[in-house]
Amino acid sequence: MIELLDPTAEVTAQGIAYVDRPASLAGKRVGLIDNTKFNSDRLLEKIGAILKAEYGVAETRMFRKHNASVPAHEEIIVELRKGFDAMVAGVGD
Amino acid sequence: MAVTLTSKRYQVQDVGDAIEFCFQQGWTDGLPVVPPTPERVGAMLEAARLAPQQQVAFITNRAVSITAEKVAINAVMAGCKPEYMAVVVAAVEGIGDPAWSYHGPGTSTGGAAVLMIVNGPIARELDINCGDNLFGPGWRSSMTIGRALRLVMRNVCGSRPGLLDRGTLGHPGKISYVIAENEAESPWTPLHVERGFRPEQSTVTVMAAESPHQCYNQLSNTPEGVLTTIADSMRLGGSAGRQPQYAIIISGEHMRTIAQGGWGKKEIRQFLFDHTQNSIAHLKRTNRVPGAVQPADETKMRPLVASPDDFLIIAAGGRAGPFAAHIPGWGGSRSSLAVTKEVKR
Repeated sequence: MIELLDPTAEVTAQGIAYVDRPASLAGKRVGLIDNTKFNSDRLLEKIGAILKAEYGVAETRMFRKHNASVPAHEEIIVELRKGFDAMVAGVGD
Repeated sequence: MAVTLTSKRYQVQDVGDAIEFCFQQGWTDGLPVVPPTPERVGAMLEAARLAPQQQVAFITNRAVSITAEKVAINAVMAGCKPEYMAVVVAAVEGIGDPAWSYHGPGTSTGGAAVLMIVNGPIARELDINCGDNLFGPGWRSSMTIGRALRLVMRNVCGSRPGLLDRGTLGHPGKISYVIAENEAESPWTPLHVERGFRPEQSTVTVMAAESPHQCYNQLSNTPEGVLTTIADSMRLGGSAGRQPQYAIIISGEHMRTIAQGGWGKKEIRQFLFDHTQNSIAHLKRTNRVPGAVQPADETKMRPLVASPDDFLIIAAGGRAGPFAAHIPGWGGSRSSLAVTKEVKR
């Protein structure tokens, strides 16, 4: 008999607190997180326009990360906390 | 055994079953592994004098803590000897450094491998290859240390090909990509000393990197001649201005020609910086930069990297043969930078 040890990471439960989603986007302010990939700003502009035209969003503003590989930096988080109700973020090519 | 190992345990019949079991669990890189038994894992930890639960690195974006026990298990599987463990640990510390920015090179379609450059006495003690067939097979330490790091990335960090690791092409360096600098024969300051360490310290530099691009010049007997060829190959060999850093490997013949001309690494870096720039017009015509060519674009030059210091010059490779190699780093906008860590013994 041979005994083997598991090389993979055991998952430890982590609590993540989510803000409740707004029931409606009408009148809300939405941040758009540009991940710096080519054309990501254009895609987000279109998404922002749809959010305004079809969902009644009051205001959108684009925030640009340092690069696609890193999380949104502190200044973005601070700004979002101060004046926004929701945000759109994603990653992809 | 003095240490208490807490990883989940599995029982199998014999060594053959163990190897097959590891395949079935999805724990391998496609090659057979050495069965990670508690005895072998214990010896690995003992050699590096690490407690099993000690955290070696924390990958922030993945919220993954990499413990010494997990590093040891994967090092055993890769075929490492216990004395290699300290090098593997230093490399894991390197990829966990925020400047290396794991989330990019550990996942990206860009398909980077982890180039490891070992400097200092340990490179010679462990016989890490710095000579003939530099990037090829044949040296246990070179093959298994890099393999151990990639298995940690796969099994602990979750960078599995096709899942979290979405490299479009990848390259063979993702199996193992470990070299040493040929400090014994190099006339130049070793990489780790340039990066702030003492010559007698042992270090590992980790760099997210593409494959080696080989350059040939058998005609020149001056530094300018040799480096003109290397620069021309580099200028468009990567993504022509996206990569944050390049490693340049100068092997025996080219090393001697450049050194005989009185040039050191500083002069090499400056020459390459000056001779690898592309015009914006060329980059636009070849669809590397968007937009129509404007008249000013013909004379507006874009350097390959932000500073000459973004070229890492390493003396390594066989004594014979008029070859050098350049290795483009990964990503853009300085998104992942080479990190050097001391091998603690």
